[in-house]
Amino acid sequence: MKLSKKVVILGHFGVGKTSLFRRFIDNEFSEEYKVTLGVQIKKKIVQLPDGRELSMIIWDTEGHSNTVEDTRKSYLLGSHAFIYVFDLTREDTYKNLNQDLEYLKSNYNNVTAKSIGNKLDLVNEKEMVARLAEQNIPFDCLTSAKTNKNVQDFFSDLAAEITK
Amino acid sequence: MKDKLQFNPQVQVTKVSYQGIIKQTDTTLFSWSKGKSIYDAHPFFEILRTIEKEGTVDEQELNFPCIHIEEGDFERICDLTIKPDVDQITIFLYDYTDKYQDLNHIAQQKNESILLARELELKNKYLQEKEEFKNSFIANINHEIRTPLTSILGFVEVLEKTQLTFEQEELARIIKRESKHLNSLIDDMIDISKIESGTLKIVQERFAFQDLITGFEETYAKAAKEKEITFETYIEPNIQEYLIGDRTRVYQILNNLLNNAFKFTEEGKVTFTISKNYQRTNKLSLNFKIEDTGIGILEENIPHLFDRFTRFDRDKQISGTGLGLAIVKNLVDLLNGEIKVTSKPEKGTTFTIKLPFKFEVLKPTTAERKKKKYSLPTSKKKFRILLVEDEEITQYLIMKILISQGTYFVDIAINGEQAINCIEKRKYNLILMDLGVSKIDGYKATQMIRNNYGDKFISEIPIIGFSGRADDTARDKCIRSGMDDFIAKPFEQEELLYKIVKQIAKKAAE
Repeated sequence: MKLSKKVVILGHFGVGKTSLFRRFIDNEFSEEYKVTLGVQIKKKIVQLPDGRELSMIIWDTEGHSNTVEDTRKSYLLGSHAFIYVFDLTREDTYKNLNQDLEYLKSNYNNVTAKSIGNKLDLVNEKEMVARLAEQNIPFDCLTSAKTNKNVQDFFSDLAAEITK
Repeated sequence: MKDKLQFNPQVQVTKVSYQGIIKQTDTTLFSWSKGKSIYDAHPFFEILRTIEKEGTVDEQELNFPCIHIEEGDFERICDLTIKPDVDQITIFLYDYTDKYQDLNHIAQQKNESILLARELELKNKYLQEKEEFKNSFIANINHEIRTPLTSILGFVEVLEKTQLTFEQEELARIIKRESKHLNSLIDDMIDISKIESGTLKIVQERFAFQDLITGFEETYAKAAKEKEITFETYIEPNIQEYLIGDRTRVYQILNNLLNNAFKFTEEGKVTFTISKNYQRTNKLSLNFKIEDTGIGILEENIPHLFDRFTRFDRDKQISGTGLGLAIVKNLVDLLNGEIKVTSKPEKGTTFTIKLPFKFEVLKPTTAERKKKKYSLPTSKKKFRILLVEDEEITQYLIMKILISQGTYFVDIAINGEQAINCIEKRKYNLILMDLGVSKIDGYKATQMIRNNYGDKFISEIPIIGFSGRADDTARDKCIRSGMDDFIAKPFEQEELLYKIVKQIAKKAAE
């Protein structure tokens, strides 16, 4: 039986969830902002370090405007990983991050939850890392969907982690 | 029709086994076939594996709104209902594409406007930070330059009073002139920066207008004599002696224009005319006209005359930053005035300015008419001054100025803490307090002196603050902290001595 895992991308609107999704799936990027309504789902076969193949089913959800609790529950059903994306240039997209991650952990105990700060190309990485640390904002990776920085590596690492 | 579609969606019903094999389907939306795997139809249906694994088969419906389902290039946005039964799963696909596309349009507009607002907010914040950085940079540079400039100007004045040869006198004069030019350049930079950041404050204060004009008459008559040109003034006689307005800025505007007129006129004359435009109740509008017979300005250059860093003359002998007229224009605008210029090359230039003022109907007292003269109390004793200053060169300069008067003893404290120690040990007639000294700054030290001592001779010592930060904020802060006066670096000897004598005399008169 094929190995298949569902990964849901969450976060505020306009943080670049669809850009990351498109960058990972099709290696494409567009400057144009197009709102996502509901959910788009695509599959990508990922080669695991042990040689196995993983079918990653990525759910790119519409952005919420307040907290992750606004996301429709049915979209989260049967997930193996959550990727909480925030915009490094917009503090309001990560001000509830701790609370949101806590919500995901307490309601989806066995699901891996990762947080990534996107739009790295627009900020100074060193300063940003310091600022996030100062504000006690946890993150697993900082990415740029535009430049593809850290995107493929992040998904590969995630694939390995959820198939251990 | 569209509304009808929204509320009467097309529905496709598909039944699959728990292994994902399509057992039965119509093709209303998608052309799926019986016997094929639903997992291959679209990755969304991988969710069915989870339903099985998680054992959620409890015959409850699962609803998934707004799912984008594609088949090749064909995409529909559907609400899906999944109804697990004992031996199969029924999938209902309701096509709400039109409804969702309409909503998508609204959401797009809403999100875009929020993102745009945020982007503007960020840009604004960035610009503000940049502006703050620039202002603080200019303020610091200002301080750093004015401190050595104070020494240069001060020592040149000291030097001028020694026995000098003709050549040495000339060299000292050049150093003084160039230092003053550098000082005015700093003033221009500060002003343009304040104008740009909107922090230049216009004050409305009563001032001796006639004195201001007399000052111009005296200064420029001397300049005219030196340049061997004529300086004529026509002042309408019934203009009030005292007006209400911003004296500093009016002085700056007129001085800048007169200075320019003299700078560009090698022969002929400069005429300064002041007349009333109108006077109503306590309001007055004055017309200032400054005409010269100088080199003039080409017609095509006139529209750019008030741009920053604009200089049309190529004569390097004529000094200037190109900021003067830009500042004049901005100041006139800030004072709600008007400025016009007419010019003909080789014939001359005329600047006409209209400025509004107010005036009081009451006449000023005699005491107000002239700058009050003060003299030190008659005493055989010398007056003891505490100089709080950490820069050696400024210490040396002020000591030199004060000691040369023969009436002062000077003690030095290099920081606020030392100053406090000094006043506890010795009686002083006055403190000259640099605002930026270490350990305890000038403001704090003053507050301590004013508040911590019962002995009035200590708590009421006259204190004059001084700093390279020659702005109104520093002056206001000095007065608020309890100082009696403020003097900006670089200062002229006369001004410093006048302020010292004034404070000591005032204290003695109490």
